[in-house]
Amino acid sequence: MASETPPNESGTRLLMRPLNRLEMLSEQAYAYVLLLPAAILLGAIAFYPLVRTLTFSLRADDVFGADPFGKFVGFDNYIELLSGQALIPNQFVDPAMNEPLLRQALIVTLLFAVLSVFFETLIGFGQALILNQDFRGRRWVRVAIIIPWAVPVVIQAMIFWLMFNPTIGWGTDFMQWLGVFGDNPLANTSNSFIIVLVADIWKTSAFMALLILAGLQSVDRSLYDVARVSGASPWQQFKLITMPIVLPALLVAMLFRTMDAMRIYGVIDASTGCEQVPTLTCLVISSFNARRWASASAVAFLTAIVIGIMVLFYIWQFRRTEGGAI
Amino acid sequence: MVNNNKNQSGKHYSVGVSRRRFLAATGATGIALGVAGCSGGGGEVDIDPTADIEGDVTVELSMDQDFADIQSGIQQALYDNGLNDNISIDILPGDFETGSRQTAFTQALDAGRSSPDVFMMDSGWTIPFIVREQLINLENGLTQETLDFVKNNYLETAVATASNPRSGDLYGVPLFPDYPVMQYRKDLVEEAGYSPEENNWSTEPMSWLEFAETVADVWDFHGGQSSFNYGFTTQAANYAGTACCTFNEMMTSFGGAYFGNHENLFGPVGERPVTVNEQPVTDTIRVMRSFMRGPDANNAHPDYPQISTSDLVEFTEEPARQPFTNGQALFHRNWPYAVNINLNEFGEDFGTMPLPFGVPESEGQYEGTGGTAAALGGWHLTINPNSNNLNAAAQTVAAFANEDVMLSLFALGGYLPPAPSVTEQATTEEVGMIANHLDTLSVAGQSTVPRPVTPVWPDQSPLISSEVHDAYTGAKSPSSALSSLQEDLEGTEQI
Repeated sequence: MASETPPNESGTRLLMRPLNRLEMLSEQAYAYVLLLPAAILLGAIAFYPLVRTLTFSLRADDVFGADPFGKFVGFDNYIELLSGQALIPNQFVDPAMNEPLLRQALIVTLLFAVLSVFFETLIGFGQALILNQDFRGRRWVRVAIIIPWAVPVVIQAMIFWLMFNPTIGWGTDFMQWLGVFGDNPLANTSNSFIIVLVADIWKTSAFMALLILAGLQSVDRSLYDVARVSGASPWQQFKLITMPIVLPALLVAMLFRTMDAMRIYGVIDASTGCEQVPTLTCLVISSFNARRWASASAVAFLTAIVIGIMVLFYIWQFRRTEGGAI
Repeated sequence: MVNNNKNQSGKHYSVGVSRRRFLAATGATGIALGVAGCSGGGGEVDIDPTADIEGDVTVELSMDQDFADIQSGIQQALYDNGLNDNISIDILPGDFETGSRQTAFTQALDAGRSSPDVFMMDSGWTIPFIVREQLINLENGLTQETLDFVKNNYLETAVATASNPRSGDLYGVPLFPDYPVMQYRKDLVEEAGYSPEENNWSTEPMSWLEFAETVADVWDFHGGQSSFNYGFTTQAANYAGTACCTFNEMMTSFGGAYFGNHENLFGPVGERPVTVNEQPVTDTIRVMRSFMRGPDANNAHPDYPQISTSDLVEFTEEPARQPFTNGQALFHRNWPYAVNINLNEFGEDFGTMPLPFGVPESEGQYEGTGGTAAALGGWHLTINPNSNNLNAAAQTVAAFANEDVMLSLFALGGYLPPAPSVTEQATTEEVGMIANHLDTLSVAGQSTVPRPVTPVWPDQSPLISSEVHDAYTGAKSPSSALSSLQEDLEGTEQI
């Protein structure tokens, strides 16, 4: 006896078809499907502005007109920026070296990123190793290490600004006594760079410590017992057990910090000022404030490219580690 | 889409709008705006400065917190002097920092926002907005009587920074000017044997050399740096204030200029000479280095004694004022706001004098230079062309152009009247103790030097402050810094 399929059942079957197909997908294809909504969202909120920034950067600055963007000039803004000929408060980079190195935004930013991430990783690792030990008062030490991370950026900057303020600060005299600084560190490019660097390291080492500590706590303690029984030295234990297990978390932390360091602005603006430490973000903002929006867009786009290259470097360099396969 | 409104009984009710109707409505509005040319930018706008304002209208003025604090007093002063009763003002406190406010106004005008109706713009960056035709031309927005009053009675240099440099049309009404004076501890000066009143310090400027020798003497008499940290404080940090003001006025007093004769101050860009790599400008830097490092330092002027320390290269307005107000400095250069603060601190022991001069007026290398010079700061009221209340906004701005309103602002907040005659006639009863210093302010007001504001000034200002600061700190020699600056400024002029 023949029977007809009820209409609601065919509708259900229609609905089930894509779901069934989803079930048949390979693991890799399934992962891409799950990533699709996030990719669309990212495209809307990240890539669209980036593309707009690129299109703005291909126009001329028009400081005389009501519209801040002039005619289409192709890559002229980029050529001027990369040849040190741009009409902006500080040069992006100056191949002719007429400008001192610490007045070139790209050099300042790269130097800052490399030094700050290096010292933050070093100090953060040390802090994490201490916090990972069982000792009396560990809770208070943990709080003490984390406090700088909780301090708002403006307060962080003001602490260091006041420390080196010529009328009330004690930092200048102390650093002069050590023979490190001159009379007016907040008016000196290299001294100001060091102040901003130390301020950033002071605050952000805690961030590194927390992420590394999370990695350390995932280490099976019995591995150390085995290593000790096998006669491994503390250095061998660190090198062969601790480091490989912590490395993925460490790389993620370093990647985050590198990207943050490449966009440093707040602590500079509130302490030494962008005039003394002109980073890439400082350059974007000062160009924007001078109503050179096309130049500002070009600097912003180049900054994104530089950060992108650094991220690729991390991924490529550490592709064989678990954390590197981002 | 749902509209929430109130009916006559005050209860909320909802109106359903279909997607089709919403799209049709927004599409039609967009086309209408496009055809009318109202989608952004100024253009020609009709304003009737004498129109009857029917119904209550609130005019929004973007000023700062200090003005917002005295809003009721300002409102009353405006009503007392003829503002239509139907117009009320709402003062929106904008950012206190001038650069941030400039950025906010740029964004508001570029985006075609209708709020605020009136902007309070710094005289240092009003002209770029005027040249870009982003503001209402007041030649059509004010009555001829008001225009004549402003042009004939206001400080000429203040009006110039509110006008189109090409056509001369007025685009802003100066609200209050700012010009610095030298402030000093009269009690300590007299103890050292000087007689400011007998020598007319309050109205007769002395030379920078005489000033420096006097400060050095008084400082030494009172124990030098062990008793007072500074003989003299001013602003010499790497910031906009150096380019526009402290360096500009001192260089002018030595006969130097950024762009030759002062007729070139507001352009034309690209057709004026750049004149910074010259002797008077070099002298200015060398004198400042002597003040900070002493006459024997590298690139210092051998004739001028040390009267301060190198801390000056970190000082903006407040860091320079605080040591003086705290009793750690003897002389101090600052704007009138600091006069009020220091008067409260020192009372009769406080004195003011015009800023010293480098060379006599007759010896200035360029027209307008030499003699005492005080940088012109100050703020203007301008009208947003996208405002929905243009007539009311124009009438509000016009109401500020009144002598009694100026005096009220002087009394309420210490804001100098833009008309010098009003400043000169103010009495202690009307404006308080600052009335005792009006003679000095009057001399300063007659010798103001505006910054060279053009659309490229935002590019030039940081270049000037950076190179001058490098020369002050010794990072570069004066000749090297000024040579770089000459080249950079010539580059910015070739746009």
